[in-house]
Amino acid sequence: MLSFIQQLREAEIPISLKYVLEFYRGVQQGLAPDVDRLFLLARLIFVKKIEHYDAFERVFGAFFLGRVPRQMPEWEDVFEGKPFEEWLRGQLEQRGILSAEDLRTFDTEELLKLFWETLLKQTEQHHGGDKWIGTGGRSPFGHSGRAGGGIRIYGKGLHGTAQKVIDRRNYINYTEKSTLARDNLGHVLASLKNLKRTGPATELDIDETIARTAKNGGEIELVFARELRDRLKLIVLLDNGGYSMFPYLELVKTVFGKIRDHFKDLKYYYFHNCLYGAVYQDLARRRAIPWEAFISQGSEAHLIIIGDANMGPYELMATNGSLYFHTPDPRPGREWLREVRGAFPASVWLNPIRKEYWSRESTTIYQIARMFPMEDLTLAGIRNAVQILSRARN
Amino acid sequence: MEADAAGVKTPGLKLTKRPGGDMKFEGTERYYLSPELGEIVNIAIAIEKPLLLMGEAGTGKTQLAFEIVRAFGAKMEEARCKSTFKGEELCYVYDTVLRLNDSRFGSGETGRNVNDIWDYLRFGPIGRAFLAEDRRVLLLDEIDKTDSDTQDNLLDVLEDGSFIIREINHKVAARHKPIIIITSNAKRELSDPFLRRCFCHYIPFPGAEEISVIVRLHFPDISTRLLDACLTEFYRLREQGFEKPPATAELLDWIGAIRSSGAGDPGAGRAVRHIGTLLKRSQDLLKFKGIVQRTQFR
Repeated sequence: MLSFIQQLREAEIPISLKYVLEFYRGVQQGLAPDVDRLFLLARLIFVKKIEHYDAFERVFGAFFLGRVPRQMPEWEDVFEGKPFEEWLRGQLEQRGILSAEDLRTFDTEELLKLFWETLLKQTEQHHGGDKWIGTGGRSPFGHSGRAGGGIRIYGKGLHGTAQKVIDRRNYINYTEKSTLARDNLGHVLASLKNLKRTGPATELDIDETIARTAKNGGEIELVFARELRDRLKLIVLLDNGGYSMFPYLELVKTVFGKIRDHFKDLKYYYFHNCLYGAVYQDLARRRAIPWEAFISQGSEAHLIIIGDANMGPYELMATNGSLYFHTPDPRPGREWLREVRGAFPASVWLNPIRKEYWSRESTTIYQIARMFPMEDLTLAGIRNAVQILSRARN
Repeated sequence: MEADAAGVKTPGLKLTKRPGGDMKFEGTERYYLSPELGEIVNIAIAIEKPLLLMGEAGTGKTQLAFEIVRAFGAKMEEARCKSTFKGEELCYVYDTVLRLNDSRFGSGETGRNVNDIWDYLRFGPIGRAFLAEDRRVLLLDEIDKTDSDTQDNLLDVLEDGSFIIREINHKVAARHKPIIIITSNAKRELSDPFLRRCFCHYIPFPGAEEISVIVRLHFPDISTRLLDACLTEFYRLREQGFEKPPATAELLDWIGAIRSSGAGDPGAGRAVRHIGTLLKRSQDLLKFKGIVQRTQFR
């Protein structure tokens, strides 16, 4: 059992000694008479955050259900891999299950789902049912088809919960490494709200009230004090020029739009590729904000720059480097960025390109990352960014 | 070890088991309780840990607390959290203004004694749950609305079932540790120490099978054809990435509207009937109607 806990730790799930004791207590109380309840008990005790569900399920599957800790490959790898190709050909040619037309109408997810189903079915056949059958009338590969939007339906009843849940990998979108998507928006928001809230409130100042009341000869005088709370301003600076940013634009706006109410002030400005003397109020980049007006907010506002930091080295380094010939100021982009960094002590750069690919994508990423703390636009990245911002402010 | 953990050995606390031998806990006639969730509730009660339920709106988090109350015949203390809460007022409020007033003008007929602080302490939901003679269900609803300081103030409450009245340094300990159910919409991250003291469970949005059970609880006589058609449309809409995707409550409203209007089918594509019951945000409605907003180029 201890090695199970060890494996959880290795999967980067934080485990305290207290959890281990609770777990033993639970087992002693007979709360885990079968593997399904053991699964629930262990998950309740060890896993506190949805980001860790996925890792937990894999470890549990490997340890108790004897699964090979099969690394579920990423989509792209699956599609490129040989087994998938073979399977697809098989489906198309021999069985006539899929027609070429189906293939066109299916989206990747559906296709992938079908593939996994076949694969799992094969596993079942090979292993002669030691893990897969006898779980109380579960029909593991039933499929509701179109009704219910292609949602898979498993057998009812408690038995098989663990396997069922593990197979589905419901929580993959919530793992720390997943990029920003609709499913995990809520959690991104959650991270952002860790920035302190604003808002005035009044509370009764008891000491002062009593003192004044005494002075008044017992005539009550209520004194209210302003509650001390941080008032937070946030500026989001979006690169909306390159097509590299395009897929993220709407998403980013949704994220920040939703938390608008929670900041005293939330402003979007836009720029293209690199900063040259102005930022813009509108998406089309026509209404410019004077540079000084922008810079002067630095002392009290947090700044999040979202952009791929991917540009020609020339744009960043050279005098008169801007892509736009009418840019009046000849200073190179690098200087402008440095000025921004100096003016906004609490600033961070979020890059939609995944960290792993930074070195491959462009050299300018690292140059900019040397000026700004840079994170990628994943859950973990945003969380780090939030920490960087709050630390800078304190 | 007991083979059948359906009735966890907590005296007087047992969810009823369906006579058919089906391993499903009985919801009530209006509530469907998934077997997994039922089991989780039992584990949390047996280990006496607060149960933190997370998940999107409409997955029945709050409702679960009411169901536990009903199943156990217990009383409930309910705290709907607000962002202004500090945590302490959930335990007790010391009414200084009233005492000040009484000291100046006298307490009159009320029987309050100005020299006795206890006459000016009022207990909040947590305080009442702790002081009750019976074991109560304590619901802290939408805890994520409070900020992390508030959550930290509640740590002792969760950990040992006690809190301290600061003014007189008096410790109030729970006579019977209440069954604590906490809900969160994950609007904001909860503090780590807070999470450590809870059992956390994420309720995923129910799949097609579970949701048809839920719909049938509310509309027992709905035809399978209509139900299937509605669910297909419903899940299709959910996947469209609306700002506020329709959830269970919207689905039930929608089906209710379709039925009361006498229509036999939900409509399809852009001709979905009563779309206003499913999509609430104007942005979403516009998106549904295929109107792309171009506000950015004003």
